[in-house]
Amino acid sequence: MSGPRVLGFDGVTVRYQPGSVPVLTGVTFALGQAERAALVGLNGSGKTTLLLAAVGLVGHDGLIEVDGLQVGRRTAAEVRRRTGFLFNAPEDQILFPQVIEDVAFGPMRQGEPRDAAYRGAAEMLDRMGVSGLARHPVQHLSHGQKQRVALAGALVNQPPLLLLDEPTSSLDPPGRRALARVLDGFGAAMLVATHDLEFAGRFCRRFLVLDAGRIAYDGPDRLAAERLLGS
Amino acid sequence: MRAHWHDLWGSGLGPVARIVPRNRILAGTLLFAACLAAPSGTVMGAAFIAAVTAGWTAACGLPRRALASFALLGLAMFLPYVLLVPLIAPIVPAGPGPARLAAALAVPWDVVLHGLAGLFVAAATVSALSVSDLRRGLLALPLPRMLTAVLIQIVHQTAALAAETGRIAAATAVRGGTQGVSTAWRLAAGLPRIWLPRVVGRAERVAAAMELRGYAETDLRVFGRDRLRPADAAVVALALGLLGLAAALRWGWLR
Repeated sequence: MSGPRVLGFDGVTVRYQPGSVPVLTGVTFALGQAERAALVGLNGSGKTTLLLAAVGLVGHDGLIEVDGLQVGRRTAAEVRRRTGFLFNAPEDQILFPQVIEDVAFGPMRQGEPRDAAYRGAAEMLDRMGVSGLARHPVQHLSHGQKQRVALAGALVNQPPLLLLDEPTSSLDPPGRRALARVLDGFGAAMLVATHDLEFAGRFCRRFLVLDAGRIAYDGPDRLAAERLLGS
Repeated sequence: MRAHWHDLWGSGLGPVARIVPRNRILAGTLLFAACLAAPSGTVMGAAFIAAVTAGWTAACGLPRRALASFALLGLAMFLPYVLLVPLIAPIVPAGPGPARLAAALAVPWDVVLHGLAGLFVAAATVSALSVSDLRRGLLALPLPRMLTAVLIQIVHQTAALAAETGRIAAATAVRGGTQGVSTAWRLAAGLPRIWLPRVVGRAERVAAAMELRGYAETDLRVFGRDRLRPADAAVVALALGLLGLAAALRWGWLR
């Protein structure tokens, strides 16, 4: 870990029903400032649950900290302000009918005046390579375009922590390279849940392998991660 | 995949689109009420309804294709009421011949005229508003915040759920669901168990995203601020005047 920790999990266990089999068990790791880690694991290993727990969307036992705040019911709103989150299905998180409005929502929520928020949103769309879509209705976008728009909405406030759930799932190879370039320009700590080990290898120096809800490997060796995944 | 009904939003190219969204919604609502309030049984009333409907439809610039579609839809919805005339004619308290026929036609005529007018005014108003305009307009109106949020989400989610339904329909067709009655029936019977969980799952994920992005805790009214110009006020004033005229025709205040 480098620098002060931006995300910390200490012995975190998550169950969806009291008494049921835990989805995450005793998960412990920390991410430092501007550190990037790939969260890999088979389907159903708990990657998405871990990301949702980090922003308080699922209950947990143990300690989770985001940017110095302990995640809990009272701090959830502030934790979410300090986190950029990309959902697995981008259309789920696009809440406004027009692209620019959706991206501008983040800054406006932080109290920025409308004009400044729209300028910031336009700049972010430009960095994502979709400035031409600013005035488009969201329902007319392709899946890949929606993903870029959702990502622009997550990045526009320049949060200290980014949690990305399968960010490359619907991007073509040039799109993946462009995404890696865009994310390179942000100094945020990033936890990227992905099956795309090539992207992860190019983009992250650290691999967290989840196996049935437990951290099975935490280190820089991509090959070790691949072996654990059986690929 | 596009939901075709959704393409009606903002498709109008008439001058009404230059009015601030709040006043577009207000004027459309007032004219809708005026068309329903005006009497259909007098020449003046019927002419008023026809003129208001035609004028608003033209001012909103409802595209020709949509106009033809809504005309067909309206006739399909309301013309069957005319089929009731032979049943009504024997029981109306009127003289024989044309007078009896005219009396029997009065109720279906009322339904057809008011129905078509309401349909066209509503479609024209929708064509003059993009979904973003609708949201801005609703937020700028003095409506309860909860009601506004629910209305906005209904419109937003309807498009998403229509797309979800379209994907299921496409998958059904590709997998042979439209070939053979028994196959179609088996697939149709299973749809509630497929479609509902998918839609519910989608709604749950959107709710999580709304919570995460602070949608509920943000005062959305900041998105609805618009500067009013004289033309904006004039359109609403005109619509109010027409509603007053419709009321005067209805209750005979002009005699």
